[in-house]
Amino acid sequence: MAGEAGQSRPPLSMRKILGNRRISLSIFIGPSVGLVFLFYFIPVILTFLIAFTDMDRTLTWRFTGFDNFSRLLGIGVRDPIIPRVLLNTIIYTLGALPVTIIGGLFIAILSMRVRAGVGLFFRTVFFIPRAIPPVVYGFLWAWAFEGTRYGLFNAIRAALGLPIVQWLIHYPMVVVILANGLLGISMAMLVFSSAIATIPQELTRAAEVDGASATQIARYIILPLLKWPILTMTAWHLMSFLNSYVYIMLITGGGPYYATEVWSLYAYHVAFTQYRYGYGASLTALLVVVNVILLLLVLRAFGMQRMLARGKIEV
Amino acid sequence: MVIKRVTKAIPYILLLLIATPFLTMYIGFFLRAFGERMVLGVIPERWGVNNFRFLWQPIAWGLEKTTMWAALGNTMLFATVSGFIVTVICMLAGYALSRIEFRGKTFFLVLQLILHAVPGQILLIAIFFLLLYIKLLHQIPGVALARAALEIPLGIWMAKGFFDGIPWDVERAAMIDGCTRFQVWYKIFLPLVKPGIAAVFIWGFLFAWHDFIYVYTLLPGTIKLMATLIQSLLATEVVDYGYLAAMSLVYSLPPLILFIFLQRALLKVPIFGGKGAV
Repeated sequence: MAGEAGQSRPPLSMRKILGNRRISLSIFIGPSVGLVFLFYFIPVILTFLIAFTDMDRTLTWRFTGFDNFSRLLGIGVRDPIIPRVLLNTIIYTLGALPVTIIGGLFIAILSMRVRAGVGLFFRTVFFIPRAIPPVVYGFLWAWAFEGTRYGLFNAIRAALGLPIVQWLIHYPMVVVILANGLLGISMAMLVFSSAIATIPQELTRAAEVDGASATQIARYIILPLLKWPILTMTAWHLMSFLNSYVYIMLITGGGPYYATEVWSLYAYHVAFTQYRYGYGASLTALLVVVNVILLLLVLRAFGMQRMLARGKIEV
Repeated sequence: MVIKRVTKAIPYILLLLIATPFLTMYIGFFLRAFGERMVLGVIPERWGVNNFRFLWQPIAWGLEKTTMWAALGNTMLFATVSGFIVTVICMLAGYALSRIEFRGKTFFLVLQLILHAVPGQILLIAIFFLLLYIKLLHQIPGVALARAALEIPLGIWMAKGFFDGIPWDVERAAMIDGCTRFQVWYKIFLPLVKPGIAAVFIWGFLFAWHDFIYVYTLLPGTIKLMATLIQSLLATEVVDYGYLAAMSLVYSLPPLILFIFLQRALLKVPIFGGKGAV
């Protein structure tokens, strides 16, 4: 029997292996699960492990208990920079969020009211920040607001006979908020305008016939129907601003003198310019905890199943 | 009649007002790249390509010299490797999530959305150590793998969307004829979702091409990509803005061309698509 089977066909052909349900599933799903595990889960665990060490440029593991956390919470040896960084993070996040949502709504509603071609042109202009590399976007802002007559806006001011303004020294936070807010707008605007496009025309037409003004249509018809996109974009950008530091790093580098140093950027600087990986990891670990809490809140508010549901405009 | 005309013009005027500062920035940037000497700061006295001299001259930074082409080649390698990894992994996973029922599927899909919401850049310290321990730090393919992982969550959703668009009968016929799942995927689905493959690849490629923080942090200063080259030239004492604007233009151009191709495919992604994003 056994010999017969061996003669007629090999016991485990390639075909059979690939035909097995479990094996074929692991071929399809395995690589992505592996990569997610390697680059999301292990790093989170590593972050928490390193956070309890005083890892420095010698890269040796020496566990120091809660030293890092007590320093950043201001118990015992305190870090004098932390209060400033915390305040910056709050100002930055609370500043960039309304710029994104209100700006995005404004541009979406306006660009849907003008002629299609014109609307598309303006949406393209506001999408540029996302279509160009971060380094180029950062360079663009750093150059535009440069504090000498070589900077764009100062060159224009000089041409008009106005004095030069040291934008990045006197208003660094404003520049950083605007630069990041504009990036948020590029996404929010697209989402809002495509949501507006799905609103049935009868609704706005009927209101127009009844004599509603453009502002009334926006206020009483469009805005209530955009509740879901506005909520999702707010949650999305809240997390995004809390964690984003690359653009700040490129525009001001966190300066002048910690004026725009936000929490995530401070963690980066502590780790990669001061080589205090342990302390940097503890700063990151706290940020990860805040992220998880925010995510849980968002998931609770929105519901898992609804996140997967397709139609988000509820008419 | 006049009042009606005025109210009609209001949205146009408002849009133009909001866009003016940014339009000034973008136009000024172009003028700066192609202008040789500036009058009144913004208007070039004469046009020329002197700012583009990095195309045929070596670039000096610090004590070292490099060429733009070396940096461009590195960027191309980094982006291609990253895009390739994203494509293979997402095309595999996207098929399974579209066609095979298994336990934890919904969880897996939601997890991808959650991971997409958490920017990977905050885990950079740990990723630095991870790459160090698995001996992939300081080399382009290793860092490209780490970078690819960031685009996997959304890429999977994209790929799933493309597979969802293919009717079931096609594969049912193939399976009745005795094809295995893998054969169905390889022989029937991949040729059918060619636009999807292109879109996912461009997606992975673009973000790797744009990436700054990963290559800046995880690659040694001697391996320059376009992003790190421009950044290091910006960090020098005397910054030649025209030269850098020209270089930025060369660096930004390939993605902009790809974006035009990607535009239509992007509209099919549930997250960016028309239904209000998650």
